[in-house]
Amino acid sequence: MNKKDTILIVIVLIISIAIILGYKLFEKDGIKKALVYYENDLVLTIDLTENIEKTYYVEGYNGKVKILAGNGKVSVDEENSPLHLCSKQGYISKSYETIVCLPNKVIIKIDNIDELDAIVK
Amino acid sequence: METRKFTTLSMLLSLAVVLNIIESVIPLFNGYIPGLKLGLANTVILFVLYVYSFKDALYVSILRVILVGILRTGLFSIAFFFSLGGAILSVTMMFIFKKITKLSIVGISIVGSIFHSLGQIIVGMFILETANMIYYLPWLLMFSIPTGIIVGLISKELVNHLQNDLKIKEY
Repeated sequence: MNKKDTILIVIVLIISIAIILGYKLFEKDGIKKALVYYENDLVLTIDLTENIEKTYYVEGYNGKVKILAGNGKVSVDEENSPLHLCSKQGYISKSYETIVCLPNKVIIKIDNIDELDAIVK
Repeated sequence: METRKFTTLSMLLSLAVVLNIIESVIPLFNGYIPGLKLGLANTVILFVLYVYSFKDALYVSILRVILVGILRTGLFSIAFFFSLGGAILSVTMMFIFKKITKLSIVGISIVGSIFHSLGQIIVGMFILETANMIYYLPWLLMFSIPTGIIVGLISKELVNHLQNDLKIKEY
């Protein structure tokens, strides 16, 4: 390792910390909803403002995907895939977070709808 | 291609495939951050890049992705295109940085690791048509430093020890 390597490491660290801080700044407040997509089609919208955790099932490429949602967060509980990456990922709760189940072609996103907009709607 | 080089590259290719399969058994952080891997196969690619040439490194890299695709993930599956995008971008960027900067093999290894993640995210954004995957970018960038250093140090030793045994001049 030489001096140039250290400079590279410092630059990479600064960039990654800056991006993480950027996410925190742009995090929106409002009514939280989880959007579940299968092959890029929206198949399920879950309101996350309820205080009870509910179970939902979505048809994935390899069979049923079990989704737990409520209390402002959402997770994939059971799914059929070789590595079970998306069920290991656990809960997501922020508007920039995503659960991607590649083998099942299922994507879960969180979107915050502005409270004023929601009232108008 | 002379026979000696041909056989050596074939052996290195099989080594890369085996390392790829071995590291898929070792989960880092239990899959909390998708796509996080040690990148042991990159030691072989770095070695080929330093001892042979960019073209050879690109060949070995692409063939590795195809072979791993046939053996594990399935050819032309989504994961296959993820790996392919990552592998091609990673080798190309390592070559460019090696040419234009004075980074040591450890720095080049970090560059390879960064662009492997970046390539996968770019392919992911095209295939899944979502920009949300970019959320993982800062975490993958941060982890590319320790994994890049480990892979770089291993490659450095490999190049030092094996270069003379293989009787090949360094470029």
